[in-house]
Amino acid sequence: MDFRELPPVKEQLMKCVRCGKCRELCPVFKEIGVESAAPRGHVFMVQMLRDGKVEPTPEVYDRLGQCLMCETCSANCPSGIDVHELNAAARAYLSQTNPNWGKDLLFGNFWTKPDLMKQSIKLASLAQRLGLQKLARNIGLTRILPGDLKDAEKILDHIPPRSARSTLPAFTPAQGDTRYRVGYFLGCGTDFLSPEIAQATVNVLSRNGCEVYIPEGLKCCGLPHIANGKLDVARQLTIHNINLFQKLNVDYIITDCGSCSATLTEKNLRFVLQGTPYQEDAAAFAARVMDLTVFLIDVLDIRVDVHTGQKWKVTYHDPCHLVNAQGITAQPRELLRRIPGVELIEMPNAASCCGGSGTYSVTHHQVSMQILDKKMSNAASTGADVLATCCPSCIMQLNHGCRRSNWNAEVVHPVVLLDRVYQEALTTV
Amino acid sequence: MNHVDIKKELIKMLGPDKVLTDELDLMYYSYDSSFLTKLQPVTPNAVVLPTSTAEVQAVVRLAYEHGINIIPRGAGTGETGGCVATEGGIVIDLSRWREIVEIDVNNMQVVVRPGVIHADLNDELAKFNLFFPPDPGSSKMCTVGGMVANNASGLRAVKYWTTEPYVLGLEVVTPTGEVIITGGQQARCIKNVSGLNLTKLMVGSEGVLGIVTQIRLRCFPRPKARGIAMAVFDHLDDAPATVLEVYQAGVLPSGIEILDGSAIKAVNDFKPQINLPDAEAILLFEVDGNPPGVEYEGQIIKEVAGRRARQVEWSTDKQRMAELWEGRSITAAAAARVRPDGSRIFAGEDISVPISKVAEVLRAIRALGDKYGIKVVNYGHIGDGNVHCAPVINPEDPHEVELVQKLVDEIHLLAIEMNGSTTGEHGVGAARRGYAVLEHGSAVEYMKKVKNAFDPKGIMNPGKLF
Repeated sequence: MDFRELPPVKEQLMKCVRCGKCRELCPVFKEIGVESAAPRGHVFMVQMLRDGKVEPTPEVYDRLGQCLMCETCSANCPSGIDVHELNAAARAYLSQTNPNWGKDLLFGNFWTKPDLMKQSIKLASLAQRLGLQKLARNIGLTRILPGDLKDAEKILDHIPPRSARSTLPAFTPAQGDTRYRVGYFLGCGTDFLSPEIAQATVNVLSRNGCEVYIPEGLKCCGLPHIANGKLDVARQLTIHNINLFQKLNVDYIITDCGSCSATLTEKNLRFVLQGTPYQEDAAAFAARVMDLTVFLIDVLDIRVDVHTGQKWKVTYHDPCHLVNAQGITAQPRELLRRIPGVELIEMPNAASCCGGSGTYSVTHHQVSMQILDKKMSNAASTGADVLATCCPSCIMQLNHGCRRSNWNAEVVHPVVLLDRVYQEALTTV
Repeated sequence: MNHVDIKKELIKMLGPDKVLTDELDLMYYSYDSSFLTKLQPVTPNAVVLPTSTAEVQAVVRLAYEHGINIIPRGAGTGETGGCVATEGGIVIDLSRWREIVEIDVNNMQVVVRPGVIHADLNDELAKFNLFFPPDPGSSKMCTVGGMVANNASGLRAVKYWTTEPYVLGLEVVTPTGEVIITGGQQARCIKNVSGLNLTKLMVGSEGVLGIVTQIRLRCFPRPKARGIAMAVFDHLDDAPATVLEVYQAGVLPSGIEILDGSAIKAVNDFKPQINLPDAEAILLFEVDGNPPGVEYEGQIIKEVAGRRARQVEWSTDKQRMAELWEGRSITAAAAARVRPDGSRIFAGEDISVPISKVAEVLRAIRALGDKYGIKVVNYGHIGDGNVHCAPVINPEDPHEVELVQKLVDEIHLLAIEMNGSTTGEHGVGAARRGYAVLEHGSAVEYMKKVKNAFDPKGIMNPGKLF
C-alpha cells in the first residue's frame, strides 16, 4: 500500500495541533532537547514527507529513527494520534526508497528464520564462554567497532548457551485438571536471551491447570521489523504466526513478553495488516492473545499457597509496551504481591522508559544509556534487591544498568520469582 | 559576512552541540502550536540552544553587528507564531536552559533560567510549601521564560492573576547585546517602586524588546485545601449572572470555568462515561486556602449558585473533585476529536470580554459557527471573561480553511466590539498583529517608539505584536 494511503498517514497527520505535550513526555527529547527528537517533530516530518516537501533520504530516517517507539506520546496525545504508527509507516517508506543491505540481511532474512537465529546465537554464546568477547575487549579489538558498538556490545554480557525452544517440549500437560488449553507465544527475547523466563512460564501455567502448546515454526512477532522500517516483513511474519495458531485449538495465546503482546494487539495488527485480507483473522487471533500476568491474575486468579521463607524486596519497572501500548500496570504488581515473601516497593517514575527498546540501545547507545541511568537511579533509590519487569528487552537493558551503576540487584520477570517459590517449596516438602 | 560565515561563527562561539544549521533540523523550528504556522511554516536560518547569559549575549552581538533577526523561543507551545522566524533569522531556543538558580525561602522568591518547565518549578517549590500561582493549561510543557514573554496565566487567574505581578526582576540581553537587570541590581525585596518599571514593560513584550535570561519570581504559600463546585444551568445567561453573584457574596474562587452546550456535547461524545448533564452551561468553581475557609466559601457558592442552577454539587473529596473536574480537563482533547475527519485549530482561540457579556459573546460565536457551517466548541475562564473557542475543521480542505479564517476574523472583531480584547493570555505574535491599530489606536505608534529605543536595528523578533 502506498505510504500516503496508509490510514494513520491519511487520517491522523492533520490532527496534530503541535501543542507540545509530547515534548516533556518523550524520554529521548528529554535527553537531546532538540525539536527533531520531539514526537510532534516526527509527526511534522512525516507530513513533510507525505507532502513531498522533503525527499525520502537516509537523513530523514535518521531524524525519525531517534524515536525509540516507547509509545508514551501516543498513549498521552490529547488529539489521539498514534505517533509511533506514523513513524513506523514513514520508516517503511524510507526503507523502501533507500535499501540498506545490512538491514535487509538482518531483518529481512536472519530475523525471520528461527533455526538460523538459534544456531548463530549458540555460536555467539560459545564464543562468549570461551572468553572471546572479553579477549576482544582486552586486546582493544572492540575499539575498532563502528560508532557506539564498542560500548554497545557490553549490553550482551551474557548469552545463554541454549535457547528455550531447545529445552522445552512442544506440549506440556496440565498438572491436575485441565482448566485451559494455552498456546505459548514464545518471543525471540525470551527464547534466546532469557530462556529461564520461558521455563518458568511453562511451569507456572502447567501447575495452574493449563496445557501449554508451543507451536512448531513460530516466528518473531515482527516488532523489530516494524521499528526498523521492515513493515512488509512484519506483515509476512504476522500472517505466518496467525496461520500457525489457527491450527491450534487453544483458549488463550499467552506471552510473557510485553513487546510481543503489544505487537499482537488487534490495534497493532490492524496497522500491520492494512490492505491485506487478514484483518478478520487478525481480530480473532488478537482476541485470544494475553499478557501472562493478566492471564494469571484476571483469568486464573492464582493463589500461591506455598511458602519458602525467602524474602525479597522488589521494585517493578513498567515496560513501555505494557503500560503505554496496553495500559497494563495493575496485574504485574498484583502478581508480585501474591508471591509469598515479596515486599513490593514502588520506584519513582516506574513507567518511564529504560531506554532499551530492542535494538535502540545499540543503534542509539549514548541516548539509551542516559535514559537508563535515570531509570537505575530511580530503581536503586527504593533499596530493593530485586528489579522485576515483564519484558526480556528491558531485562537485558536493566541488567546492563545494574552493572553500569554497580547496583547488585537481580533483574527478573515476576513469573521467575513465582516459579522459584514453587520449585523451592517442592524441594523442601 | 555571508550565511555560511555566520553559521561558522555561531559554532565557534557556542560549539557544534548548541547550533543547528542543517536545513532538515531547521525545518523543525518552523512551527509552534498556531494554525498560522501550520498553514505557513517558516524555516529559520539557524537555531542556537544557549545555556548561559554569555552565550546569548555573544549570539545577539553577532546578530546586531550584522543586522540579523533574532527570535527567542521557549517550548514552542504558543498559539500565535510568536517564536517563529516569520521574517527569517536566528531562533534562540532557550528550552534547554532549565536551571533553578536559587529558591530563596526566607524571602519567598525563586530565581530561574528561562527554560525551566512551569510544572517542574512548582514541584520543586512544593518541597518548601511554596508555589508560583499562574497556572497555564500547558503547565507540563511550557517554559517559565515563555510565560514571562507572553504574560501567561490560566485556570487560576481569577484569584491569582497573571504572570506579571509575580515577576520581581529580570536579567535581559538587549537587542544591542547589553545585559541589564530590571527590578533593582541587588534587590531582594518584594515591594519596589523605584525607577521606571522596566520589568513590567518586558513581561508580555513577546520577545520584541530583548531576551530574558534570568527571572526572579515571587512565590506564595501553597494552599492546604481545595474544593470544587459544579453548577448546571438550563439557561446560558444564568452562568455569568451566577459568577457575579458569587463575587458579590464576597467569595473569590481560585478559578471559575465554563463549558457551554457545545463543550458538554463534545465531552460526552468523546467519553460517554463522564456523562455530564445535558445543559446550556456548566460552571466549575475551584476554591483553595485553609480547610475551614474552603468549606465556608464552598457552602456560599452552593447556596448562591443554587438560586439559578438546576443542580449544584460541592466536594472536597479528592476522588470526587477529580471526577467533577474531568469534564473540564478533557475539553480541549474532546474538542480535537469532535469530528473524526477534522481537527481543532488554534486561531481566534483566546478572546477576552467583560464578564457581563460572556453569554452574549458565546451566543454570537455559536451564530458565527452556524453562518460558516463550522463546529465551534466553547469553554474557558469565565471568572475573568477569557473565552477559548475551538473551531473544528479539516485543515487540509482549502475551502474550510478559507471559511475558518473568515470566522476567526469575525470572532476577533466581535471581541473588540464587545469592549474586550483579541487575546486574554496567549498573546498577539504574528497571528493577531493585524488588529493592533484597531485595539490600541495611536498608542501603537508609541509601542513602536519604545521598541525602537531598545532595538534600533529592528532585529528583535520582527513581525510580531504590531
